[in-house]
Amino acid sequence: MKRQTKNIQNVLVFLNMILLPILIIIAWHYATVSGAMSTLILPKISTVLETLKTEITHGTLVSDIAISLSRIAKGYALAVVIGILLGVLMGMNQTANRFFMLTFTAIRQVPMIAWVPILIIWFGIGEESKVAVIFLAAYFPILVNTVDGIERTDPKLVEVGKMYHLNGWQQFTKIYLPSALPSIFVGLKLGLSVSWMAVVGAEMIAATSGIGFRINDARSLMQYPVVFAGMIAIAVIGVIMDFIISFISKACTPWERGR
Amino acid sequence: MGKELKIRDVNKSFDVNGEKVKVLSDIGLDIEEGEFVVIVGHSGCGKSTLLKIIAGLETNDTGTVQIDGKEVKGPGIDRGMIFQEHRLFPWMSIEKNVQLGLNGKSKKEKENISDQYLSLVKLSEFKKAYPGQLSGGMSQRAAIARALATQPEVLLLDEPFGALDALTKIELQEELLKIKKRCKNTMIMVTHDIEEAVFLADRIVVMSSRPGTIKDIIKVELGHTRDRGGSDFAKYKKKIYNYFFEDKIVAPEYNI
Repeated sequence: MKRQTKNIQNVLVFLNMILLPILIIIAWHYATVSGAMSTLILPKISTVLETLKTEITHGTLVSDIAISLSRIAKGYALAVVIGILLGVLMGMNQTANRFFMLTFTAIRQVPMIAWVPILIIWFGIGEESKVAVIFLAAYFPILVNTVDGIERTDPKLVEVGKMYHLNGWQQFTKIYLPSALPSIFVGLKLGLSVSWMAVVGAEMIAATSGIGFRINDARSLMQYPVVFAGMIAIAVIGVIMDFIISFISKACTPWERGR
Repeated sequence: MGKELKIRDVNKSFDVNGEKVKVLSDIGLDIEEGEFVVIVGHSGCGKSTLLKIIAGLETNDTGTVQIDGKEVKGPGIDRGMIFQEHRLFPWMSIEKNVQLGLNGKSKKEKENISDQYLSLVKLSEFKKAYPGQLSGGMSQRAAIARALATQPEVLLLDEPFGALDALTKIELQEELLKIKKRCKNTMIMVTHDIEEAVFLADRIVVMSSRPGTIKDIIKVELGHTRDRGGSDFAKYKKKIYNYFFEDKIVAPEYNI
């Protein structure tokens, strides 16, 4: 009996989550079928799905996404490594924090799209400029949240560490790092979602491949179903990546469960 | 096991908004090996600061604190401390928390020691749990186990039961006495709970505030098993109470 009620609960939670997407799809469907919206502005779902299917079977969508994802992988990985390392340094060391703070805050004010022209001049329209845009976009949320997490470590726990003669490294691995971990994951999550924005944005401005390029190309050819198909693909992959990172986050911070 | 403590002419001031505020003034106190001393005072009288100085977490401006003739220069594993909050690391299991001070021992040794002390505080079944899954009383027991695991000769307790409900508090006070009997540590506790002081202490140090000075030291001669409802117990309570709430000199009939 108990198991059954639990299953029913799970189903309800799931319905709760997918209700809005379903409503949106229904609204979309009726808006186009009834003719309230011109299919030139809002293509039918069936057309979009058809396009999605042919794009996938022809492999264009898959290869576009693969190119964009590989750019994200490079730029994001770089941002994760440098963001966490510098974040830890700035969180633990006041001098380092003051040294970098003004410069970083200033750089952060420039939207990543505004970086694109200068990065293209520096790196060309190839891979490097995309990776650089992704890095710049993902780096700051990761850095800021890492610094914040380290700085918010409870000084009372640090005092306990001193009481038990933990050396600097042990204080870091046993107190500061685990304490900052939930916050670091917030940064990793934010960084990943802005990576998508950055890569698509950069590809729309200057690129010869990638999902952002495909959307822009389709727009100039007035192939709106392709634009929609590309957007849907970005959204779906973004959600999947968010799930993956949430899963990793939960696995790495088991003590946070049930809080 | 236990060590004697000598506190001599300890003074301490803090800077508060550029103003010097004296928190401890000429504190002198000798604590014998294996003794249970409870320091009672208003909050803000500097009693916790004194405890932190003994722990080595805070420095004294003048004076000395010696443990078995050796001056305290910083924290050391000869002293264990239990705080008002349990201060367990939320990301470590109870077992790992208890093993925190056991650096340089093998995994097996660490496990033996943590098992031993967790069973002492009756938490054996919860060793794999995280602190977040435990109640306040259980967390404080785990903190006691952690403090005992390094086998400190001096155990410092900073209002350890202050945040617990009344029943859990009584339970843990009794357990603390049992632990004291077994491990024979020297114990120094800070509290503002007069009943707690009379129940636990060999000697009660009464502190006044601003600046913190020792007003009086009272030897509690009630034996090992103390009856909270007994008349002698009540007399001690009244006597301590009078230090704080009546300025008149303690009446002769309470002079025990």
